[in-house]
Amino acid sequence: MENLKLTAQKVLNLLKDGGADMAQCVATYKEKREFNVDGGEFSLFRTTFDNSLVLTAFKGGKKGTISINRLDDEAIKAAVSDCIASCDSAVADDAWEIASTPDSRRFEEGCVTPDLDKFFDRLRELMENIKDRHPLILMEQLIASHVKTDSLYLNSFGVEYETVGGAYSVDLMYSAHDGERGSSFFGSGVVFDSLEKPIIELASIERDLSDVEKQVDTRPLEGKFEGTLIAPPSSLASFLYYALSNFAGDSTLLDGTSIWKDALGTAVADERLTISMNPLDERIVCGDRYTGEGYIAENYDVIKNGVLNSFMLSQYIANKTGLKRAPNDTFSMVIEGGDVSLDEIIKNTKKGIIVGRFSGGQPGTNGEFSGVAKNSFLVEDGKITSAVSETMINGNLADILKNISAISSETVCDGTSVLPYIAFEGVTVSGK
Amino acid sequence: MLEDIISKHSASFASGVHTELRAQVNKSRRVTLLAGNLTANSRSDVSGVSARVYKNGVYGFSSVAEMSDDAVRTVLKEATSNADFMDRHIAKGKALFPAVSTEYIAPGFDDADVPQKDYIDFIRMIDDYIAGKYKGLTSRAVVSTSDSMEKLLCTSDGVSGHTAIPRSYIYVFLNAETPSGVPVELFKAFGGSGSFYKHFSSPDTLYAGIDALYEKLMQKREGIYPEAGLKTCVLGGELAGMLAHEAVGHTVEADLVLGGSVAASSLGKQVASELVSLTDFANTAFAKEAPLPVYVDDEGIAAVDSEIIKDGILVGYMNNRETAEHFGMKPQGNARAYLFSDEPLIRMRNTAIHPGTSKLEDIIASVDDGYYLVDTQNGQADTTGEFMFGISMGYEIKNGKLGRAILDTTISGVAFEMLKTVDMVSDNVSWSSSGFCGKKQPMPVGLGGPEVRCKVMIGGR
Repeated sequence: MENLKLTAQKVLNLLKDGGADMAQCVATYKEKREFNVDGGEFSLFRTTFDNSLVLTAFKGGKKGTISINRLDDEAIKAAVSDCIASCDSAVADDAWEIASTPDSRRFEEGCVTPDLDKFFDRLRELMENIKDRHPLILMEQLIASHVKTDSLYLNSFGVEYETVGGAYSVDLMYSAHDGERGSSFFGSGVVFDSLEKPIIELASIERDLSDVEKQVDTRPLEGKFEGTLIAPPSSLASFLYYALSNFAGDSTLLDGTSIWKDALGTAVADERLTISMNPLDERIVCGDRYTGEGYIAENYDVIKNGVLNSFMLSQYIANKTGLKRAPNDTFSMVIEGGDVSLDEIIKNTKKGIIVGRFSGGQPGTNGEFSGVAKNSFLVEDGKITSAVSETMINGNLADILKNISAISSETVCDGTSVLPYIAFEGVTVSGK
Repeated sequence: MLEDIISKHSASFASGVHTELRAQVNKSRRVTLLAGNLTANSRSDVSGVSARVYKNGVYGFSSVAEMSDDAVRTVLKEATSNADFMDRHIAKGKALFPAVSTEYIAPGFDDADVPQKDYIDFIRMIDDYIAGKYKGLTSRAVVSTSDSMEKLLCTSDGVSGHTAIPRSYIYVFLNAETPSGVPVELFKAFGGSGSFYKHFSSPDTLYAGIDALYEKLMQKREGIYPEAGLKTCVLGGELAGMLAHEAVGHTVEADLVLGGSVAASSLGKQVASELVSLTDFANTAFAKEAPLPVYVDDEGIAAVDSEIIKDGILVGYMNNRETAEHFGMKPQGNARAYLFSDEPLIRMRNTAIHPGTSKLEDIIASVDDGYYLVDTQNGQADTTGEFMFGISMGYEIKNGKLGRAILDTTISGVAFEMLKTVDMVSDNVSWSSSGFCGKKQPMPVGLGGPEVRCKVMIGGR
């Protein structure tokens, strides 16, 4: 950490010497240890030692950013020179701003020192558990890693944050096969900081594996209907990411294309829905403690009881638009569970679809979405009747947020978010 | 240009194992003008050394973000130790790979480093042109990006290499609204392989392309939603390339075949109409340099073309050295790593459907009721070959003539079923090369194809 501090201080001094009137520097050292499984077999053990240095300078309202991964004097001098040159050629804009109240803090998060032998044992146990309990599963790839990070943020106003953190993560990509019949692939993932539990018990891994095994036999949907979209956490995260980026994010507020631009303080969703960005929640592993502009991160609600409570804006876009900066710049999304079980939601569904994965492009700024329902089940008269293939779903993100019929009491925490199952009405489901 | 600090360390490679030693720098530059605001102005250089060691069927890998003799010694030691760890725990007992040729020819490359000012000044002129000429837009963005991967390679087979893949693009995004207030957007990428100066000498060389983009956007403003269902469609060349890459190419990457892709049971079988042939080209395609040429891969294999579909029959997979042994095939130079800290994975290079003999105008004239689908903004497929592509620009075809433009829609299907419906293939190939393919690591790839007539599911509203 001392080396990172010295490096960051040197960078700031050089940027100031180059004429910067505001500057910030983030110096990071990372050690990654990673195991890979390919085609069901352990294949690779990888260790990487990496640095990064991100320099940002502001000169007369002009901004330049350079990132490098070498920390030697020659590389730093060249980067500072490039950064100042970038500023000089930029367009002046008074909206640029970084944290300006002197502050000094240290954060320690997660599991800094890995227990590699135990981690490898847990991974072998995971592979054995899958083989025993889910014999149809073929593991295309498993990537399991521990990353230790030392990071230092320093800016020209005397703001200094030191972070030491570490976390394990496991990402699985798999499909189920029975003879020549096979499911679509599906991905499960989890970030965690303790090896106490078997990995198969974390997040929704066990349930995901069971669901994919049930998708070996699918049938194409015939015809078209308007019904219920039940979004498990796996696809809910995508739908909400698209919606919030399009309606509450930097780009669309800046260029004025957000359909929520005048909706602050008004109802934009069902009153049972509260969407929070909570990097400080204890269920979020190694959540960010400060923003890219140097402000201390705080939890906040984007939507509270259905009302748009905050946009998700950086300080720069806030200054450009006259709106308020969001209290953090993460997507550590937390939605607490509702009052009805998933089984009840299914029982109450006349006709609908449980969409495990949405395969579609980024919806337009108007929120219209259209894509293939992958890893999905048809629900008819309160029961799951079959897994489906070649089925498309269409709808509008802004409309379905107002048209929620249920939020499940169960939630899934994967270390990066906490999400329930949500049933939305008014989605068009079409097959051949 | 990278200085060779790795060759001298080949004498210290461990015996009885395969070793690859690589030094690499990735450069990227990005400048964005969003509605006239400079929202991104960044440069990034990422460099370091890495080693990978293959022992008895398992790999050890290590990287350090430094260019020094100490760093080289560290990665060789760590990679060997990691391979030992895996061998101790997972005893596969596999043999070494067969020896490979050390011969290949790679041309030199242009490593011009462009000052940030040149990118900014250029796209400001483009932005001024758009803002001055086209008042009816709701928003606009101009983005300049350049990236390059420069690699030095040294393997225990005696292969050495010094190669680079630089590319430069300017993207223009134009936004408008339909008369009923529905947002519509189109974008176009200008540029290709090579440095910024190779493609962008003067802004006025782009104006005709921007004018055409604006015209298309105005047609789209007046567009209609297509009628949903299984329709006869003419796919534009870039869309055919997307199909070749996403819905076919990934399923025949041998690591995904081992992971259960649809191609596992399709080798030697008819998977497309006889009019369809598909190849992953290494560096030369249809007698021209391919968009992103690859001459040697990161396992030290001289790159040659991978023939995938020949006259409708699936004839091959894309391999690395390990999967080539497994399937009894030859490695053809598909094992590529993105950063110095990445291990090589099986990746596509320049994947394209071969041209046929029909003329586009004859193909369109042959369709009584269908659609000509020109541009795509995104596409996804999985290892079953089921795909979904977003269509950002297209036209209806009525009685052999192009009609109204259509609004954003999607097409979907299963590749090996849909390709069997191809009954006309044009004689003209269009390439695109500005994107990244995602598979654990990003990777620049080229993809292309001719216009093809086929039957495909098109989404309505």
